[in-house]
Amino acid sequence: MNISSLDDRDKGRRMRHLLGFALGLFCLLAVRLFYLQITSAEDYARESEENCIAQKRIKAPRGIIFDREKRILARNRGLYTISLERTNKRNYDEVVHSLQQALGEDWVPQDYNKRAKFIRLLRDVDFRTVSIVEERLQDRWPLLGIEIEAQRFYPEGSLAAHLLGYMGELREADLQGRRIKNHVAGDYFGKTGVERVYEDLLRGEDGVRYLEVDAERRTIREFTEREQPAQKGQDLTLTIDLNVQRAAEEALPDSLSGAVVALNAQTGAVLALVSKPTFDPNIFVSFRAQGERRRVLQSKTALLNRTTQGQYPPGSTLKMLAAVAGLETGNTDTLSTFPACAGSLRVGDVVFRCYRGKRHGSLNLIEAIEASCNIYFHHLAQNLSIEEWWAFGQKFGFGEPTGLDAEPREMGGLLPSREYFQQTQGWTQGHLMNLVIGQGSMLATPIQMARYTAALANGGYLVRPYVYGDPGEPVKIAGVSAGTYDIIKKSMRRVVYGEHGTGSAARIDRLVVSGKSGTSQVPNRKEDDAWFVAFAPYDKPLIAVAVVVEGGGPGGSVAGPVARRVIEAFAGFESVVQDPAEPKPARSAETAGQERRGGLPFDA
Amino acid sequence: MTRELDSALIGAALLVALLGVIMIYSAGPQDDPAAYGGGDGPWRKQAIYGVVAVVLTMVVVFLPYKLLHSLAYVLYAVSLLSLIAVLLWGTGEQASRWLEVGPVRLQPAEFAKLAVIIALARYLGDLRAEEVSGPRAFCGAFLIAAVPLVLVARQPDLGTGMAFGAALFPMLYWAGMRRAYIFCIISPMFSVIFSLEELWQGVAPFVFAVFVVVSSIAIHFLLGRLWATATMVVVNLSAGLITAYLWKNLLHDYQKERILTFLDPESDRLRAGWNIIQSKIAIGSGGVTGKGLLKGTQTRFEFLPAAHTDFIFSVIGEELGFVGAMAVLALFSFLVSRALQIGYLAQSRFYSLLAIGLAALLAFHVFVNIGMAIGLMPVTGLPLPFLSYGGSSLLASFLGIGLLLHVYAYRHEY
Repeated sequence: MNISSLDDRDKGRRMRHLLGFALGLFCLLAVRLFYLQITSAEDYARESEENCIAQKRIKAPRGIIFDREKRILARNRGLYTISLERTNKRNYDEVVHSLQQALGEDWVPQDYNKRAKFIRLLRDVDFRTVSIVEERLQDRWPLLGIEIEAQRFYPEGSLAAHLLGYMGELREADLQGRRIKNHVAGDYFGKTGVERVYEDLLRGEDGVRYLEVDAERRTIREFTEREQPAQKGQDLTLTIDLNVQRAAEEALPDSLSGAVVALNAQTGAVLALVSKPTFDPNIFVSFRAQGERRRVLQSKTALLNRTTQGQYPPGSTLKMLAAVAGLETGNTDTLSTFPACAGSLRVGDVVFRCYRGKRHGSLNLIEAIEASCNIYFHHLAQNLSIEEWWAFGQKFGFGEPTGLDAEPREMGGLLPSREYFQQTQGWTQGHLMNLVIGQGSMLATPIQMARYTAALANGGYLVRPYVYGDPGEPVKIAGVSAGTYDIIKKSMRRVVYGEHGTGSAARIDRLVVSGKSGTSQVPNRKEDDAWFVAFAPYDKPLIAVAVVVEGGGPGGSVAGPVARRVIEAFAGFESVVQDPAEPKPARSAETAGQERRGGLPFDA
Repeated sequence: MTRELDSALIGAALLVALLGVIMIYSAGPQDDPAAYGGGDGPWRKQAIYGVVAVVLTMVVVFLPYKLLHSLAYVLYAVSLLSLIAVLLWGTGEQASRWLEVGPVRLQPAEFAKLAVIIALARYLGDLRAEEVSGPRAFCGAFLIAAVPLVLVARQPDLGTGMAFGAALFPMLYWAGMRRAYIFCIISPMFSVIFSLEELWQGVAPFVFAVFVVVSSIAIHFLLGRLWATATMVVVNLSAGLITAYLWKNLLHDYQKERILTFLDPESDRLRAGWNIIQSKIAIGSGGVTGKGLLKGTQTRFEFLPAAHTDFIFSVIGEELGFVGAMAVLALFSFLVSRALQIGYLAQSRFYSLLAIGLAALLAFHVFVNIGMAIGLMPVTGLPLPFLSYGGSSLLASFLGIGLLLHVYAYRHEY
């Protein structure tokens, strides 16, 4: 026997105490259980049947979305829903049957789900149905309820649909694993665009109501003093301008596929964002548009946001990039010319052709941009290295998403480097000859093109496009001189106003528009894509626009007029009038700084 | 090498765990085949955890003799570190109790309970029975339990914190501390509770006075020394008076309210009292034989919150009735008595104390959780071992069984 331990008698006594204490506690539990389940079972059974106080959620109204002038883009509207409290299957069938008879309609009810607290039988019903249920059916079926639900409503229909995004119903399965704050299955939440990105702001916080209910779940009274009111979601005022947006939507017909992006050239505030074909976001919250919804979801093409997810070869609109690279690396200037354009250029076995075989003759850089001569840029590409061109491409934001806040799934396009070609087709200088004219493997999204245009126009500030909030200061592009931007802007003005310019369709009366057309060949597509990028006014650029029309053909005459109508709509309320023939001298450095900081009327 | 397995012990534990999976299934949500991504109900996860837990149990049984004794303080240190990690990086809705390690979410406090018991068993086991009644032994043991208690209480999780203390006193007693001393240590805590005016509504001074008189007589009877009795009277009186003073003058109203609703949830019927009221209705309406599996209206209509976790016993009471509830209680009684018996049989002081600690921990959990469900105890987030949904709790419960089996296998060794 271990001397340090207790003797056997003491050990036995202590064990009895411990055992007695534990079993004593358990006996206490047993006695209490006997009291609850045997002695007062009847009372509790009745309480359970009559139970009693129900918690009801008060849904918070979702925040309203406005355009920059406080015009409503998305709001909530009330609608009537006929619902059935949780019940058994037989009851459910009877209710559905009598409802069908009373309404004389042959609708298919939602499947019976024994776990659902509420079964929503009919949603968005008219007043006739409401009164039939109220007068004829509710006495027999007290579990039948009429609720007023809030539904998201987009008064402008498909306007800015891709930007605003659409809502979807949260399913039980969506909630598993992921914890979504303050959501329950059956709620609607933003699935794309602004509705999704700013979900937490828009949503608000639900409240709770305590009700005393009877055995049939009818409300007896409310505990108003306990009520926790719902907190409305935050309203958002976007940078979008409804006038510009509408003009852009109308300028690009629904029958075409394409995209329009209009930015504030100084701040990156998005003025308009159009992707065609489009859809009406109302169909995703409507209970009557299932067919339409299915069609849109299946076709996919309407849901694709071409402004940020469409990746296209940008064609000649990219030539300014090569011009900047050429000027900054000393490979060209405004005076020198390359061998005259004779409509085509043979390099080894490959023949490069100017657009539609035009013979431009001997051109300098400004003239080459004005007339969009490919041969000039092919010659320039023979002197440039791909590293030089690629470095400038990166500086102007190609090859990576712009960071637009409203689109979490933005694409980055493709800015091919020497390594890219080495890993794919193998590198030859001929690739660069295609890249400089925006062909080859080069891909860009319309919003990248708009930002690049804005940077050329505003003297080299790379903005971050945004629709809400604070974008931060734009970044000044390093290694490009002010003189270079002057040359580029002058060339782009000549595209619109020059004798040989390809962008005359973008001219408007009241201010100086500068731009560049593009007509890009797309593999596996018969017709060329039409491009146009533009900014205005010339010496105080406020708006930058990028337009692409898939399979539209010549950029100047197809995409140019779209850009014109966007700028016109913008100029319509902003009285910036200038004489196109005589552009005013450049603004002073002092006002330039002010404007960029946000003194402009176009800041969000 | 073959070991003797206490098949009755493991059998009873498996039976309770199986009932747990069934009741979690019944409390729902069940599987939803329409949901994409599987839509498995929590009962499946619990069943998988159960299998893992049983495998781990077997690993513990076959640990070499006295390995635990030499690792006791290492395990203790690791569990303290994990509790600190929870305070720093923990996640959770109301209290941060979980630690996310890759895909696994663990509740370190569940495992810390076992580590504390192992450390206490080592500490007290290394002392001789006569030494245990000395102040130094008590202070050491108290510190071992108090450090994790403070860490867990900061999460905040008072119930789990109290579990550390719950194992301490039975282990001290079993290690040889005199009953009178234990009573002396515990009685000031009662003084605090009995002196809360709001809790006893006007009769607090009377209740408190009666307690002081009765406890003093008991101490005098047990110790037989006048100076000790006098000391205890002073200690108890001052504990009660200080509490009353603090309550009146220093606590804010909201703090008082929080303490009161903790002690008496029914004073706030719609919020804090909601769980208790609904749980009592659930159990009471179960009657003798219950409403049947999947037929509990309190559970179905979601009157009963946390039905598959903290209030799983209410589901049992509602759906299986008095018969089911008593069966569960009987199984737990068997587990606790068997654990105590293993402690009695073990010849090594360390192993013997370990088994007693585990028995106390199990009894404490069962009493506090079921007591909460039937309105005897305040609401704490303490799970019901083997029954409540939760991987960490289930794993820790089975590890406890593994330790008991281990002790049983070596019961003849010194």
